[in-house]
Amino acid sequence: MDEEQVVKFVETYLKKKGFKQAELAFHDEVQHNSNANSVDIHSDPDLSLLLLSLSQSEDTPARYHEEYRKLRSWTHSSLDLYKPELLRVLYPVFVHCYMDLVAKGHIQEARTFFNSFREDHETVHSRDLQKLEGVLSPSHLEEMEFAHTLRQSKVNLKICQYSNELMMQYLRNTKSTMMLGIVNEHINFQVSPGQPSSISDDAEVVTLIGNSQDAANQINKKEIHWGLLEDSLEERLEKAGGLLSDSEKTEGDAKEGDLDETKVNILKRSVEGGKQGASVKKLKKDKAASATAKVVRPETNTSSIAPRVKSELPLPVIPTEVEQSILEDLRNRVQLSSAALPSVSFYTFINTHNGLNCSSISQDGSLVAGGFSDSSLKVWDMAKLGQQSGNSVLQGENDTAPSEHVLGPNGVKRSYTLFQGHLGPVYSATFSPLGDFILSSSADTTIRLWSTKLNANIVCYKGHNYPVWDVQFSPLGHYFASASHDRTARIWSMDRIHPLRIMAGHLSDVDCVQWHANCNYIATGSSDKTVRLWDVQSGECVRIFIGHRSMILSLAMSPDGRYMASADEDGTIMMWDLSSGRCVSPLMGHNSCVWTLAFSCEGSLLASGSADCTVKIWDVTTSTKVTRTEEIKTGSANRLRSLKTLPTKSTPVYSLRFSRRNLLFAAGVLSKCK
Amino acid sequence: MSIVPKEAIEVTSIVPKEAIEVIAQSIGITNLSPEVALALAPDVEYRVREIMQEAIKCMRHSRRTTLTAEDVDSALSLRNVDPVYGFASGDPLRFKRAAGHKDLYYIDDKDVEFKDVIEAPLPKAPLDTSVKVHWLAIEGVQPAIPENAPVEALAASSDGKKSEYKEDGLPVDVKLPVKHVLSKELQLYFDKITELTIKKSGSILFKQALVSLATDSGLHPLLPYFTYLIADEVARNLNNFSVLFALMRVAQSLLQNPHIHVEPYLHQLMPSIVTCLVAKRLGNRFSDNHWELRNFTANLVASICKRFGHVYHNLQPRVTRTLLHAFLDPTKSLPQHYGAVQGLAALGPNVVRLLILPNLEPYLLLLEPEMLLEKQKNEIKRLEAWRVYGALMHAAGLCVYDRLKMLPGMLTPPIRTVLKSNGRVMTKMPNKRKASTDNLMQQPPLKKLATDGAMGVMPMNSMQVDMQGATGGYPKAVGASSMSIPLTSRQLPNENMPGRDGGQVLKASTVLAQAWKEDIDAGRLLASLYELFGESMFAFIPKPELSFFL
Repeated sequence: MDEEQVVKFVETYLKKKGFKQAELAFHDEVQHNSNANSVDIHSDPDLSLLLLSLSQSEDTPARYHEEYRKLRSWTHSSLDLYKPELLRVLYPVFVHCYMDLVAKGHIQEARTFFNSFREDHETVHSRDLQKLEGVLSPSHLEEMEFAHTLRQSKVNLKICQYSNELMMQYLRNTKSTMMLGIVNEHINFQVSPGQPSSISDDAEVVTLIGNSQDAANQINKKEIHWGLLEDSLEERLEKAGGLLSDSEKTEGDAKEGDLDETKVNILKRSVEGGKQGASVKKLKKDKAASATAKVVRPETNTSSIAPRVKSELPLPVIPTEVEQSILEDLRNRVQLSSAALPSVSFYTFINTHNGLNCSSISQDGSLVAGGFSDSSLKVWDMAKLGQQSGNSVLQGENDTAPSEHVLGPNGVKRSYTLFQGHLGPVYSATFSPLGDFILSSSADTTIRLWSTKLNANIVCYKGHNYPVWDVQFSPLGHYFASASHDRTARIWSMDRIHPLRIMAGHLSDVDCVQWHANCNYIATGSSDKTVRLWDVQSGECVRIFIGHRSMILSLAMSPDGRYMASADEDGTIMMWDLSSGRCVSPLMGHNSCVWTLAFSCEGSLLASGSADCTVKIWDVTTSTKVTRTEEIKTGSANRLRSLKTLPTKSTPVYSLRFSRRNLLFAAGVLSKCK
Repeated sequence: MSIVPKEAIEVTSIVPKEAIEVIAQSIGITNLSPEVALALAPDVEYRVREIMQEAIKCMRHSRRTTLTAEDVDSALSLRNVDPVYGFASGDPLRFKRAAGHKDLYYIDDKDVEFKDVIEAPLPKAPLDTSVKVHWLAIEGVQPAIPENAPVEALAASSDGKKSEYKEDGLPVDVKLPVKHVLSKELQLYFDKITELTIKKSGSILFKQALVSLATDSGLHPLLPYFTYLIADEVARNLNNFSVLFALMRVAQSLLQNPHIHVEPYLHQLMPSIVTCLVAKRLGNRFSDNHWELRNFTANLVASICKRFGHVYHNLQPRVTRTLLHAFLDPTKSLPQHYGAVQGLAALGPNVVRLLILPNLEPYLLLLEPEMLLEKQKNEIKRLEAWRVYGALMHAAGLCVYDRLKMLPGMLTPPIRTVLKSNGRVMTKMPNKRKASTDNLMQQPPLKKLATDGAMGVMPMNSMQVDMQGATGGYPKAVGASSMSIPLTSRQLPNENMPGRDGGQVLKASTVLAQAWKEDIDAGRLLASLYELFGESMFAFIPKPELSFFL
């Protein structure tokens, strides 16, 4: 192939693509230094082949179809050993073929192509396919985030050397230039020497996220201090545990701690932390054990011995009497394990007329809130509810007396407190840790703070531009996080009406948000099927968890700060190790949306509530101990982990909450449809 | 690829070009060119998909699994589009399939007269939202309270779950709450059920109440009240057929309920139930279909014996003895006999073989005059006699069927010839008896001898041993009661049947009297039954065996 030919090729290519400017420039270039030969194209047969194919303008759509069909049949008839790897290549090729066809305006052909091969990928990628199916014109490709990012980025595929050679050889020999082009353009093979990798390692392969895996891996290398806060109440309780009989001492201790906390002084804290170091090590044996086990990555905080971290946020003050009651609760905590299952108290909402969107239960289970699609928020006080049913006659007589209950417009007594103020459906509600405040988020883009003491709206937080799907108080109160349709999560404090941090990065709606136990991180789950972990202080994304196959609906953080559970639309629950960013194990069992997750207070059990009208209890200790390799060996490890299924009477479970004493509260709506 | 196949065009967009044209017309654009419509169609589809994707998000955040019009409206408002008015509905929309189309649906919107709407009384205010609390589980075990899902739903939902329990060693036991005070709800429930049973037993509500009685898990505290109710009302309402039937249905539902332990109250329930089976009068004798009640109760008794027989060993013997007494007492009325026969028949073919068949021949002799038009002028009585006859035939037939199924090889050739000679069809029932007796006369003497011999050789004590072996699982008391039958049966013909041909009666009864023996030849049994009932017996014989006979 000589120079002239190349020039001709380039010219026809530019003409075909309609790059007029480039064509002119190219002409100039050629004429200007016709003797210069900067590119040695002819040395690469591949490239020339590609160029050759590009100059052949006729019949492109049919060639896509034909070449993909050939590639597919070749892959299916390939050697068994390499087949799984080669099959993985098909999906990205398929998707890009389709998008190329659409981009070139061959809509009909694109559709026939799509329909003739979609079945191959239906099982694993059905949701992506549904999205792509709607892409019908080149402008849609630009508009749709998913398609756009797919075209921008490369897919990483792990493949062994031999498979790679096989594939390339095949593509060259058959002159499947279209396929070769797509493979070169959109797939980044990570060729590894030796045997092909096992099929089980498919979490990364499954998702074709726009965000390249590389970036995720890069992000996941960041350091995470997942340890608990030093000087937490639990710790103090343990410290006092040895001297439990001496109540005087405990009180003194608590007071001292309280004093420290009033001055939000990090220096002083660190001193105290050092003081407590020894006792912590001695008493929290399991914590210490986990600390040693934790050193999975060398770069994660190896310097500290016990996984205790300082708070990066100034924390609110807990009143002494509240602290006393919490300590009392902690002392009376029931130890739960696979052998000692929790008691479950169920709050059933009735007569909601399909209007209940969310529910929330306060820390002690005494208050239950429901957010309704008619913009109202209703709060039930369980203590009063019991009273009312007990002596209903007596209450009828006391009508004139100042009653705690709110009177409805026609004087009919309501059993709940009605909070009105939102202008759209209420999508989420959360109680402050002490139960004195409620936050609610709504489709009207606002978050409102209500006082349960005053029964009134106190603050309206505006900042999101679209409906706010979720709002969560931090474990220690004062701060809260929100998630919205505008693809951001935001951190707020109660005393400011503007957000303190905005976490942007998700590719689709942020559907749920959850605080880490040490308040330094928040996790967000999104419709882009990923979960991200963000540093609250810096606002940076520190982890991306990829593996879910549909929208994430709920998140929960283990009390020891090491693990996170996330659940999706399909009913899959995944347990993640925060430090490594890897999935510890998927928990299968639910067959419909899992609306809520909750860890028991010592972290041994996970409860999940689902639209399939069950509450399931999972054993966390076994599922986290079993490593991936062991899991593969045993095979049936999944079933062992589900400890108990508690069916409700046609009541989907909306929210779950373990009280400090490890009593499980659940709430749901009685649905008529069954 | 210059020519696109027709299918491909159709595939291109779910929204057809025509739909775009129709929509354009509906908003006043009449001159829409086909190219524009064709270009718009894919975009419309894309927009619709986009809206649906957002609507599904809204649905998920409303914690629902069915998409509503509200969700679509919310999705539209997310895109700053005006919502589509007129489809708001609290409940999921009901779609109807358009006739002649496979996947075209529409909402059935009825025309309503404005006047009717205005004049209609205000609907009841919907109940206000409230919250109820219950224990879903106590230390991991679900208490059997009405608020929880029935236990069998749990057990039936998956097999994997059962293995779970095994693996973890967690028993699936159900803690029954010990309640001494009836809750208000239970009291109301009881009152309502009582009212329905006594007053409205024909209503649909009553049927649902029965289902509730049979399935609800929290009814145990009410059981003593229900037993008392049944006993009391049965005694009081013997003339009221519908109440009796309703009470029996209640009893049946209670017995079906897996969450109720009926055993402690069984002794209170049984007399009332047996009363409904063999009482002299149940309701109005002429107008009410008390036969049906007796049939129903017979099955109820049988199910009780089957379920609790192994717990209370004297349960079935006591029941059978009561029934047998009713059956063999000639002073009892025919409906009582009917009830007894049905009751015994429901207890299974073995009981029939042991207790009814030996007494069949003499009894039929008693019954015959009642059935004949000439001898019994009272039509009611005659009908009753026919009923009893039918019941006996049914019982005997099922018994034979059972024997034939069990012992197909027991058929002997001589009987075949006998039956062949019997092949002549007798259609007129009143004559049939005579015909069969005639046939009996024609039986070869050889066979007569054989049967006689077999009977004569058998010593009494060995019979008893045989019988013990035969009854197997049956308790001793059954044997005792069955022992009395041959005696009574032998007495009966002597006392009541002096006029009949003695030899013949003896002949038929010898075969039947031995029917309780395990090794009795099924064919021979059939032959003698054939003599008694004629061709209708063949209905109970399985096909292959029948062809063997004919």
